[in-house]
Amino acid sequence: MDLQRHSKNTPKMFNICFYIMEDEDDCPELVPISAQPGPPAQQIPVTIITGYLGAGKTTLLNFILTEQHNKRIAVILNEFGEGSALEKSLAVSQAGELYEEWLELRNGCLCCSVKDNGLKAIENLMEKKGKFDYILLETTGLADPGAVASMFWVDAELGSDVYLDGIVTVIDAKYGLQQLNEDKANGLVNEAARQIALADLTIINKTDLVNKEELNQVRDTVRSINGLVKIVETQRARVDLSEVLDLHSFDSMDGAKLAEKLELAKPMRPHLDKSILTVTFEVAGELSEDALNAFIQDLLWEKKFCNKDGEPMTVIRLKGVVSFVGKAHQVMVQGVHELYEFNETPQLWEENLHVNRLVFIGRNLDKDVLQDHFVSTVVLKAETP
Amino acid sequence: MSHPWPGYRYTGKLRPHYPLTPMRPVPGDIQRPDYADHPRGMSESEQFLKGTSQIKILCPEDIEGMRVVCKLAREVLDIAAMMVKPGVTTEEIDHAVHLACVARNCYPSPLNYYNFPKSCCTSINEVICHGIPDRRPLQDGDILNVDITVYHNGFHGDLNETFFVGEVEEGAKKLVQTTYECLMQAIDSVKPGVRYRELGNIIQKHAQANGFSVVRSYCGHGIHRLFHTAPNVPHYAKNKAVGVMKPGHVFTIEPMICEGGWQDETWPDGWTAVTRDGKWSAQFEHTLLVTEMGCEILTRRLEENGRAHFLNQM
Repeated sequence: MDLQRHSKNTPKMFNICFYIMEDEDDCPELVPISAQPGPPAQQIPVTIITGYLGAGKTTLLNFILTEQHNKRIAVILNEFGEGSALEKSLAVSQAGELYEEWLELRNGCLCCSVKDNGLKAIENLMEKKGKFDYILLETTGLADPGAVASMFWVDAELGSDVYLDGIVTVIDAKYGLQQLNEDKANGLVNEAARQIALADLTIINKTDLVNKEELNQVRDTVRSINGLVKIVETQRARVDLSEVLDLHSFDSMDGAKLAEKLELAKPMRPHLDKSILTVTFEVAGELSEDALNAFIQDLLWEKKFCNKDGEPMTVIRLKGVVSFVGKAHQVMVQGVHELYEFNETPQLWEENLHVNRLVFIGRNLDKDVLQDHFVSTVVLKAETP
Repeated sequence: MSHPWPGYRYTGKLRPHYPLTPMRPVPGDIQRPDYADHPRGMSESEQFLKGTSQIKILCPEDIEGMRVVCKLAREVLDIAAMMVKPGVTTEEIDHAVHLACVARNCYPSPLNYYNFPKSCCTSINEVICHGIPDRRPLQDGDILNVDITVYHNGFHGDLNETFFVGEVEEGAKKLVQTTYECLMQAIDSVKPGVRYRELGNIIQKHAQANGFSVVRSYCGHGIHRLFHTAPNVPHYAKNKAVGVMKPGHVFTIEPMICEGGWQDETWPDGWTAVTRDGKWSAQFEHTLLVTEMGCEILTRRLEENGRAHFLNQM
């Protein structure tokens, strides 16, 4: 059972016997009898898999499909392209069989509709054909995984059937460093670096092709870009699936784990000038929710903060755990590019010191500028440890 | 013919009434938006900016262009309003709208937008939005929303109102009244410095207080040289909309409020959005310009003290 690399124009991409679902062209849609959806009982995780061509994404996908043969997994290759296709194929693996489904990307009014076309198409498909256990979405090498992630990072109020579980970046141990060091003209972001910046898990693949020192260099570079990401090293993309699936990187379920991860985030010396790096700070006290909103909006939307050279800071990923005045629960902060949200976690502060931890991944970040502004405008009730 | 999709289970009583009249042509001397001549009705100018959240600040000339087009859109809606009574078909209203646009040197924006077949949207009862005008005669007791967008001199102007057809039940009257209030309360809050995501909090609060729900799948949008662009303006509470209002921003607020649940589904025609539980939904829309002190309702009615048409029938 295998997925083949294919060109966008070729609808048939598998070289094994596959079972084509009925031709949908003339067949009217059947609406299920139980048309009353309540809040989704079980939401399905969407994992975004990114990385340069050749790093091992397809190998990883195939590996996941073969290892998880008792689950129903949907795999979408090449994300959703440039929106001109009316249909998109999707591979479903179940009980050792691999077959093809079609997503109908109804153009309709994708303009004023809140949910992305691709997301609606997946939900419609699941409504007709049953839910998947996992959805894996592979993006092309140059795509911005943040933009793809935001398609699935929908407001909880929308009651979607899916939720964004995490972003997995596969990087080639041998060529990865070269890709990360590539200097882009005109201040354009290095896509490889951006993929690492947005990753919740980075898989350094093909470790058998490099020596220990080279591997250390790759690992250090990844760590300097993203102080939070989990790093796993593999050969032939063989990885323990519990590391890849059920990451819960965007929800408040693992509020406690998040706090731990943030404590361990180690900001390192940036590898290159103008490169992406991680900045963290922690401040004890209770915050004003309004002021934190204003701070984050000034940072993410208005891009008001500049570093000491006067260059505006650009934040790609934001994560944190904070304490609001009057709220007993720890609140998780998540941001991808300009989208951000606060989510109350099940964890209580109780008698502990209210340590607010924020991690910023992006360009031209200046910890002092951020921390000073934070302390002077956002902290309402300071605490001394 | 009312059964174009055998096997489709309708959520309410409404049915499509086919066949539709052929697509109406627009005289060649009227300026056309880019999607008018695209085989799939796609707008390249909109696609180019897809995903960006940068909101345009209009210069004085652009603002004047918007004032003009919104006034024309209002005139067209007022003409449609005069036609609403039992027995009139939505296609007849669409025909009048089409002619009214042409007479004002406007292109009817919905026409061929992603292949939409008509010049306006007519949404009856359980239809939330994007209803396609067809052969069905309006019935006494219906509520009808007519959504007008026109394109003139490079700009789009967008508004809609829900009207009563004949004698309407009290419950439906309350729905329509509350929906209008949701829109006006949201408009009252518009001024520089307000976050776009705040509008949903205001709308949902008022809707819920009256026992109604807010449609989540469709939102307000930026509008000027593009029909739909940034910002995205969801109408439900606790949304992640990006952006803060600034003078020179132009956008619509268009809440869709429902008697029952907010969940929607789309008919097999790919456009008509209906409530899943078949209960009724109402909508109102204005195009707004953010000014230094607040906002200007570009699509306001100039007579009758700016009152919405349904208020004449309450």
